[in-house]
Amino acid sequence: PERPARVSKVRPPLHQYIRKLLFTDLDKSSIEHVLRQLRKLPWNECEPYILKCFMKVHKGKYAQIHLIASLTAGLSRYHDEFAVAVVDEVLEEIRVGLELNDYGMQQRRIAHMRFLGELYNYEHVDSSVIFETLHLILVFGHDTAEQDALDPPEDSFRIRMVITLLQTCGHYFDRGSSKRKLDRFLMHFQRYILSKGVLPLDIEFDLQDLFAELRPNVTRYSSIEEVDAALVELEEHEHTTSDKTSSEKHSD
Amino acid sequence: MKDPLRRTKVVLRHLPPSLGQADLLAQIDDRFRNRYNWFSFRPGKSSHKHQRYSRAYIDFKNPEDVFEFAEFFDGHVFVNEKGTQLKAIVEYSPSQRVPKPCSKRDGR
Repeated sequence: PERPARVSKVRPPLHQYIRKLLFTDLDKSSIEHVLRQLRKLPWNECEPYILKCFMKVHKGKYAQIHLIASLTAGLSRYHDEFAVAVVDEVLEEIRVGLELNDYGMQQRRIAHMRFLGELYNYEHVDSSVIFETLHLILVFGHDTAEQDALDPPEDSFRIRMVITLLQTCGHYFDRGSSKRKLDRFLMHFQRYILSKGVLPLDIEFDLQDLFAELRPNVTRYSSIEEVDAALVELEEHEHTTSDKTSSEKHSD
Repeated sequence: MKDPLRRTKVVLRHLPPSLGQADLLAQIDDRFRNRYNWFSFRPGKSSHKHQRYSRAYIDFKNPEDVFEFAEFFDGHVFVNEKGTQLKAIVEYSPSQRVPKPCSKRDGR
């Protein structure tokens, strides 16, 4: 059958250049150079396209995502609105991913979790955003008619998302209120894990690694009832010490 | 976590992909002009393959204005030419950061 030859996308030279910088040139040794070149671009004209390319972290190498976070930090000195946009955009991507739960988007959703964690490491989001995102992942769409489509019982992808984010930045939550928040989150996470029943082995191993790294002495509960009991205990404990914690909160 | 009563930045989600910044502002500014410090619009996209809703971020001057705005705009229904309805969502933006007013000019 005759059909016209596929027309390849023709990009304007500036876009081609931005793509070359980010997708070809960028590595540990060239990052200073890439940052300088990005700063030299006609900013107003290029900003939307650079933002678009930054959201394509899944197209590059997984191990390089921190370089994009580092570039975000570097650009924020001169274009703070850009860094704010990057953060908002990543959080939106994560949310849309939960809303659509599209199998074909899994790779990019994992990359966005990693990116968010790296943005925390470069101090462009604060810990409350990380914890709100973690909790959102556990509960989004639950108790709605769409639950079976958004988080099917046998689907462990959300566990993978949590593991990715905590692997990236969880080790910073080791003191003060963020330590307590992580302890608390991990209990809710355990409850969520137990609700999934038997996990695929690769996920189970990654979970073991994660717990070993973040909280080597944590109890792994074996039933939802046990977690619930522990959560009740935690609530009570926090209630009695709430005076202390509320005064600490303001100093965060 | 930032005290909810002190949060000022909201996100408008699920806006029609075809909606432009000017159209949106026209609907908002009647009532909320001069009550926000910062507004940022992210146009959506409507192609066959990927449809993306438009979005906007607003940083209000007063936390109380967020409530009034949510009452005014959350659930606002847009109807397109084909009669499809789309309900806008107003939420606190998960990240409350807004650009610092005076970034350095880039000497490059």
